[in-house]
Order: sequence, then C-alpha cells, then structure tokens
Amino acid sequence: MTNANGQRPLRRGPAAAPRVVVAGLASCFGCQLQITNVEAHLVDVLGQIDVRYWQLASSDPMPEEFDVAVVEGAVTTEEAERLVRTLRERARVLVAIGACATTAGIPGMAAAGFIERPRQVYEHVPAACGDMIAPRAVGAVVDVDFEVRSCPIDSLDFVDVLQRALYGSNKAVPTRTMCGDCKRNETECFFGKGTLCLGLVTRAGCGARCVNLGRPCNGCRGLSPDANLESARAACGRYGVPASDFDRALEMFNQTNPVLRGGE
Amino acid sequence: MTRTAIHVDHIARVEGHGNVRVVIEDGIVKTVEMNVVEPARLFESMVRGRRFEEVPYIASRICGICSASHVVTDLLAIERVFGVEPTDRTRALRDLLVYGSYLQNHATHLFVFAAPDFLGMPSVFPLAETDPELFERALALKALGNELCTKVGGRSVHPITAVVGGFTHEIAAGEYRALADKMDEAREFAIRAVDLFRDFPVPAIETAGDMLAMVEEGAYPVAASRRARFLKAGAEFDADEASERIEEHAVPHSAALFARVRETGRPYFTGALARANASWRHLGQNAKVAAAKAGLRPPEGNPFMNNVAQAVELVDALDRCAALCRRLAEPDAFEGASAPVAFEVQAGRATGFTEAPRGALFHEIALDAEGRVEHASILTPTAQNCENLEADMRILAERLVADGAERDDVQLEIEKLVRAYDPCLSCSVH
Repeated sequence: MTNANGQRPLRRGPAAAPRVVVAGLASCFGCQLQITNVEAHLVDVLGQIDVRYWQLASSDPMPEEFDVAVVEGAVTTEEAERLVRTLRERARVLVAIGACATTAGIPGMAAAGFIERPRQVYEHVPAACGDMIAPRAVGAVVDVDFEVRSCPIDSLDFVDVLQRALYGSNKAVPTRTMCGDCKRNETECFFGKGTLCLGLVTRAGCGARCVNLGRPCNGCRGLSPDANLESARAACGRYGVPASDFDRALEMFNQTNPVLRGGE
Repeated sequence: MTRTAIHVDHIARVEGHGNVRVVIEDGIVKTVEMNVVEPARLFESMVRGRRFEEVPYIASRICGICSASHVVTDLLAIERVFGVEPTDRTRALRDLLVYGSYLQNHATHLFVFAAPDFLGMPSVFPLAETDPELFERALALKALGNELCTKVGGRSVHPITAVVGGFTHEIAAGEYRALADKMDEAREFAIRAVDLFRDFPVPAIETAGDMLAMVEEGAYPVAASRRARFLKAGAEFDADEASERIEEHAVPHSAALFARVRETGRPYFTGALARANASWRHLGQNAKVAAAKAGLRPPEGNPFMNNVAQAVELVDALDRCAALCRRLAEPDAFEGASAPVAFEVQAGRATGFTEAPRGALFHEIALDAEGRVEHASILTPTAQNCENLEADMRILAERLVADGAERDDVQLEIEKLVRAYDPCLSCSVH
C-alpha cells in the first residue's frame, strides 16, 4: 500500500466532493467531538466533503464506496481490526485522529499485563465485549496516510490535515521535541523546579499547550522520532527526578511504542 | 405465529456503540435488550498503581463530552482521601467547569442527536439549509460551552488546569466579564429551545424505576454536595455509601455493568429529569418560568421529558455561569485564591460525586501511603441508566403494539427513547 503523502488530490470529477466516512473504535469520542467543535467553520468544512457515514452525527448506514476514512480510537478487538482493514481497502486515504489511533493512547495502557486486566473489572467478561486483543494503534494494523495527534485533537489541526488529505500539500510534519517550543514561548522549565515534564521527548506541534497553562507535558502527542531517551533519563538525574518516574510517565501515551521496550 | 424482530445495529446519534433488540410475538413483547457493545476499556484496571496526579488525566479519557465531570469527581475523591479543603474560588471554578460541560452536552445532545428525530432528518446538517438560524444558534450555544471549558479548563475536551487543591491557571477579570455577557446573550435562544422541545410530540409513558439525584438544602447542586437521594423511595445517602446503596451487576448482552437499587432491586433513572424533579424549587427564575411554561413540574415521570429538562438546564446554567463569571471578575468576591493549596499525601479510601450532564457520577478510589491507586470503582450515569432504559423500552413497545403501531414506528419511537436518555455508551463501559 503506497502512502498518499498528500500528493493524490481526491476528485471524482469536477462536481463530486470526496466521499468521507468517520469511524470510531475504542475511545472517549472526544476527537470526533472536536471535529464538531469547529462550529464557526463546520459548514465550510462539510461543504468541501460528502460525509457518507458518521454514526455519531447521522443515522445513514456505512456505504461500500468512499474516498477518505477518518478513524478515531485504538484497535482493541478482532472486530475493530477487521473494520480497520476494510476501511484501508476501500479508502484512498486513511486519516488517524487522536492519541488512541496514532499511539494507542490511554487504551494502550492496558496492553501491559493485558491478559489479567479484564478479570480485574468483570467477574465474568460479558460476550458483548467482543473478541478482545491487546490495544494497538491504527498504524500498527494498516498503513496510515495522515495523522492528527494529541489527546484530544485540536479542531483546527484536523481541518488543516483534512485540507492536506483533500488537496495535497508539501507541508512537512514536525518531528522535533517540545522543548524548543517552551524556549520560544519563554515559559519556565519544570525541571528547574524538580518536576518531571515529558516535553523532553514528546513530538512538538501543540505549541506546548499544557505547559503554557502551568502543567507539565504528559506526552499525548507520542514520542518524537528525534527523542533521545538515554539522554533524557540522564537529564532527569541531573534535576533530581528519578528516571523510573520518567519511564512510568511515558506509559500513559506510549505504552505500545516498541522503542520503550528496548526495540530501538 | 407472527414474529416481529427489531434489530438496530449500532444505534446512531449517541456517543458510543450500542445495538437495540426487540422481539414481538403475536402482539406480546418478548425480548427487549440494550446491547452495549463497546470493547472493554479497563479503566478501573489501568489506574491501578498509578500516582494520584495522573488519575484525573486518565479518568477524563473515559468520556470526551463529560471529561470535565470525570476530572472534578476524581479530584473530589482524592481530596477527601488527603483531607484537602479547596478554597471557595476553586469550588466556583469547578462549578463553572461542570456547567460548561452541561452547555456542551445538552446543546450537542438536543440539537445534534435528538432534534433530527423530531424534524424527520437523518442528521442535524440538513437543518443548515432548511433553518440556518436555528442551526447556527444551536451550534453557537455548543460553542459557548466549549469556550467556557476552554477558558476555565484550558481546552474544550479533557481539561488541563484543574488539579488536586486548585487550578494551575486562571483567565483575567475582563475575560470573565466577556464570558458573562455572552451567557446573557445566549439566554433567549435557550428559552426558545425549551419551547421547541416542549412542542415535539412524545408518547405518554411513565418510567419504570426510581430516580436518583444529588440534593442539597436550598440549592440545585452539580458538584457542591455529597448527598444523593432516591426520589421515589425518599432514601438519602452520602457518596461514600454509593457502592453499598447501588448494586452493579453483569448481564451477558452488555459490556456495561448494569445498576439497580440494592435494597429493592429496582432500576432507576439519573440525569437532567431526575435533577429537575429533585431540585425544581431551586432552579433560577428564568429556568423555572421556562420549565413551568413547558409543563415540566415534579413529579414528572416521562423519560422523554429528559429532553425538556436538559433545555431548562441550559437556561439555568447560562444564568448561573453569568453570575459566577461576574463574581470571579471581582477581586475579593471569593475567599481565597485558586492556586493549588498545599496538602500531604496519605492513604485512604473515598468516593467523589458530581452531577455530570447525564446524571450522577461516582468515583470510588483507594490510595496507598504514596498516593498510588490500590482500587478504583467508577459508576457512570449511563451504566446506572441502562437497566431502567430497557424497562422503559418494554413499556413503550407494549404501548405501541397495543395501539397497533407499525414495525417501523415502533423502531423509531424506541430509538427516540434511547436518545432521550442521552446515553454515553462509551462512558458506560470503563
């Protein structure tokens, strides 16, 4: 499967808008809500596409044919895995939105010790739970063409990525870590106060929103490809933050990242 | 034998994944099931061993739309374990966060999820063409809820600033005043929403079970009280007793645990309608007038009236938020600042309780001496409502069958009932 990389404009003829489906897997639905949260632009956005399926917003059933699949949520069942494969086969472009779909996110926390977990919640696991598998990101099952990161996604970020998916663009996706953003924002570094912050290794792009509001980065955008974990652990040591705390904190949004399991 | 089977796979315009199954044989309603088919989400397992600071962040991911309620409920539980007394200003900001999620939730549910049923549309989007003013004002109300949550919590979904003991950030006085003015401007449309939903025809049915709501003397509480009341039984209890008073139990057709009153085995309803019944006298003046005009007065037992009750709460929330914002803009109106107060980590067990937009929300949490979670039990509104919803679906189906309704009409009315409950099926499985 080739990666579209934004270079294949979705046009089915001059008048036909790209047909879009939105599917939700294991998630809080917050990222789908964030799509509706572009209220001021919602009609403009919807005016460019032909939404064929969106269970959250419409009772129309899922069609056989479409151009773009937007997927929210982590894959946590065999049914979800089949659905993702079907979406990939039918869609020309697949967009994964939110931490759950891009890094397995919070659902991914259950991947460690997955076998014992259902019994910690249910005495007998109900059949309605489906055939459970260890949580994984959409990109761990099929090729993903575009990602909208963060938990939850930023509404305008989604519009931006959708534009790229629809019309193509050369825009490069940032891979740097968050720390540079705080320097530019001139915000005080948490490490100076002996407080752990995951901006050290987390992919930039949100503008360091949490840090700007007085909270350390929790890593929801996932590990940056440029992250140097060994160096980050050493930095923690210099500021009196136990490296074990750093490793524990990374489990929140990066549990299923092979790099954390020594798979570098 | 004539057999009618209604099977709605993946019911639309609700949050989460659920199927409805109704089987009617020779005019007798045999099977009524609300299948919650969410994959197990295992939150109660995932938070085990995590430090208390992380727990509200994790728990808020149970639900995008009531994330603010999950955060506040968790903070209340943790603070009770540690013996933290937040300031009045912090409490006011938490109320604002919860009200912000009311505006978001009720506007989304009423207009995006419920209204298309009554307007004969598959979704809200055709409304953009048929009634652009209604469409725009409905979205504007939802946007105002988002703005409030963003100003107070840092973003519209999954708040950032609310932490144990207080808030890490606050907006400037002028921004509070600007928010208050926007609340005032939105009121007229919210009152129109009450009228709109009053005029939608609904079947006259009486809910099967009891009702549960937070109560407080002289108030319409959303986060300020620890008392819960079963309205019909008249039984009141403290939030710490929730797991004794409410019995969760598994059913094979649902990934959500169902809930019932432990003492009587009765199902119950929780949500806007239960709150309006419990605290009607303490609605604000505008909301009370709108409720009275719409014929919503306690005791109101028709679950379809939950839509009207939510619209009334929109009016109420706007008035309360406007007043709160104006007070927060005054330098000395509240005792204390919102910066987190100092506290010491200690072991213990407690239950946090709020009225989330969809009803009573309990988080029971046990922490060890290092503040790590030993045990967590979360009881969401929808998990509490499922059993009562099934009972009401049966009542409705029997009524419609007796009236000789066609299959498609039975299906549509049942779907409308499910949506009137405003279920969050993803929340119900946690």
